[in-house]
This record gives sequence, C-alpha cells and structure tokens, in this order.
Amino acid sequence: MKSLFSAALLALLSLGAAAQGTAIQTSSPIVDVKTADVKMLPLDKSPMDMAYFPDEYPVLKIKDKAKEPPVARVIYSRPQKADRVVFGDLVEYGKVWRLGANEATEIEFYKDVKIDGKRVPKGKYTLYAVVNSDQWTMILNKDTDTWGSFKYDEKKDLLRVNVPAQKVLEPVEAFTIYFDKTASGANLNIAWDTVMASLPIAMK
Amino acid sequence: MKQLLSLILCLLLIGSCKEPTASAKKQAPPLQKDTGTALQNSVNPYEPIDISPMDITYFPVDYPVTKMAHPETGLPKVRVIYSRPHKQGRTIFGSLLKYGEHWRLGANEATELELFQEATIQNKKIPKGRYVLYCIPQPNLWTIVFNTNLYSWGLKQNTKQDEYRFEIPVEKTTTPVEFFTMVFQNSNAGANLLMAWDDVVAKLPFSF
Repeated sequence: MKSLFSAALLALLSLGAAAQGTAIQTSSPIVDVKTADVKMLPLDKSPMDMAYFPDEYPVLKIKDKAKEPPVARVIYSRPQKADRVVFGDLVEYGKVWRLGANEATEIEFYKDVKIDGKRVPKGKYTLYAVVNSDQWTMILNKDTDTWGSFKYDEKKDLLRVNVPAQKVLEPVEAFTIYFDKTASGANLNIAWDTVMASLPIAMK
Repeated sequence: MKQLLSLILCLLLIGSCKEPTASAKKQAPPLQKDTGTALQNSVNPYEPIDISPMDITYFPVDYPVTKMAHPETGLPKVRVIYSRPHKQGRTIFGSLLKYGEHWRLGANEATELELFQEATIQNKKIPKGRYVLYCIPQPNLWTIVFNTNLYSWGLKQNTKQDEYRFEIPVEKTTTPVEFFTMVFQNSNAGANLLMAWDDVVAKLPFSF
C-alpha cells in the first residue's frame, strides 16, 4: 500500500515538474534561430507592444465599429520586473528614462491635441520621463526613430509636464502603457512595479 | 499513520498543481482577440503580454542604434512593425496558413510598412507613406500586397484598398525558423525585406 502511495506521489511530482517545464518555456521564449543564408533575429526579452486610443482600435475597425480615425497610438517595449526593485534603483530617480526598453517609446497623434493646455500638433514624438518618488516629468520630444534615451536632446523637446506618481496595490510585472477614456479626451497611463502615472490628454 | 500522511501529501500536491491554472484563468484578456497571451501567471491587471510579441525592423539596418553614434543621421528609409507568432511544432504553410488565402504576415494587428521616401519595387514606384502589408502564400510564390486600410486588426483585409501587388519566389530554409521573422538586409540595389517562417523564406527587393 505504501509503495502504491509512493508511486502515486512520484507520478504527481513528475507531472508537476513537467508542467513547470512547459510554463518556463512559454514565459521565456528566446530561441536563437539560424539558417544558412539568413540572419534570424531572436525574440526580444522585452517585447514590443502597441496601445491605441480609442482602446483596441484595430479590433473595432475590422468589426466596422470605428467610425472615426484613431486619435493616438503608443509603440513601446515591455521589460519585466523580474524580482528587481524598479523605481529608485533600476530606473534611477532624476534621470531621463525611455519608458520601456530597446527603441525609444513613440507616441503618435492623428490630430492636434492639448497637453497641459499646450497645443500638440499631429505627428510622431518620442516619449520620455524623468522619474522621481513623488512625481514624474513627462517629456514629448521631436527626435523620433531613436534608441533608448542615450542621445536625448533637451533642445528637441516639444513640452514637459509634471504628473503625480501614484501607488498601485499589486506590483505590475510587465511594464504597461494604456489609454483610458476621460471626459475631455484620454489619460495615458503608465504602470510598472508599484507605481502608476497618468498623463491627461485633451482631445476636443 | 504513514498512509494518512501520504494521502494528505498527495492531496496537497494535487491542490498545488491546480493553483497556476486557476490564477491563469483570472488573467484572461479582456477583449476577444484571436491570439493568446504569454506570461498569464504574471501579475498585470492592465494588459497582458502577447504570446506573439510585436517587433520592428528598419532600413538602414539597425537604424536607431546607428543613430546613437551619428545623431545627425537623416530619416530612415523604411520600417516595418509586425508580430511574431511561433511555429510550436505546427506545419505552417499549406496547413495553419491555407494556400491562396490572405495572411497578415504576422499576428494580431495588421503588419505596417512605412516608407520615409519613395521606393521602387519590381520597376514600380511606391510613394512615401504608410501601408498595411499582407501576403497570399502559394507553394512556389507569394503575392505581397500593399494596402491602405491602416490601423486595422490583421484578420480581415479590405481588398478594395489594395494599392500594389508583387509576386516573389519562395525558397526553402535549411533549418525550420521557429519565430516568424521580418528583417531588412542590405542588397546591391538597396534592401531586401526578408520574411521567413518554418521552412520557407521570401525576399521583397527595394531600391531607393
């Protein structure tokens, strides 16, 4: 009887291990693929993602539910917290941060909008932030298609605006940017670890 | 007593095995999309990570990195934003992707190509601007379509907005490519947009 239980235990244990194995594979799908004539790019550890306003615009569009063009779109990369302390450590306070990973984060407006009462003409911008413990300075910069914040040039800023840093209850594992509808337009919400900042954008 | 202990252990194990599934279910994506999400067990109440993540390729090759060393570099010539599904043991062409049917060259949002200046493909001039790129695969050739129905999800193509079509040959790769890959490579005339997945690779030639 005992041996039967042990066998059952063993089987269960190996099942658990197998399940864990697959879980690990899907969460870090970095495979360097090589063929004879092709330089194949591995997947980024901090994958790129896209956020639209209105939210999920492309899905709405193919369902014929999007009557107007989109207003805004963000293209950014999504690093993981991976047990690190993010703000004040990995992302240093007081320094310009690319709001993501890899290529600098791009925000595009398809019509003129207003931020902090200032007109933002339609077009592409790079979005940066200077993070501090109680507030973030959001920066819209005119130098696009660039990598990181290594060559950030203040002279190319369109505007800077301070927003409060808010605490979130549960830590956010993957860096996230998304839009929320508001009465006057949208908030651009940026969340990672235990912090979230919201940039109000007026669209009327 | 020992038996009871084993029984309790067993039950505990069963319980702990079930846990990840339960929390994964809680993290289901809010909107109906047609692809899954990765890292379902990681905490993110806002937006889960896509299982077919997005990526970008520029020409000149690695443009944003080059620009760091040479900040006064002009505009890039072209860039493509696409998503990267993986093979996961499946047969891709002629099975997952049906021959003769539209394919979004990726996953999720339609693949977007932006020309920062005019380009020539197969003696046809393409004005600068933004296009949706999709493909009609066949065993020996692909039709690559430039379409203007921008900012759409890739499942449905509005063929009324097709602008240009190019036929390109396909080659077999020596090793299967796990992740769908689009990448610009230097060529004598300008650039090739290389597209590879599973055992197939095709190149769309650009000159500037």
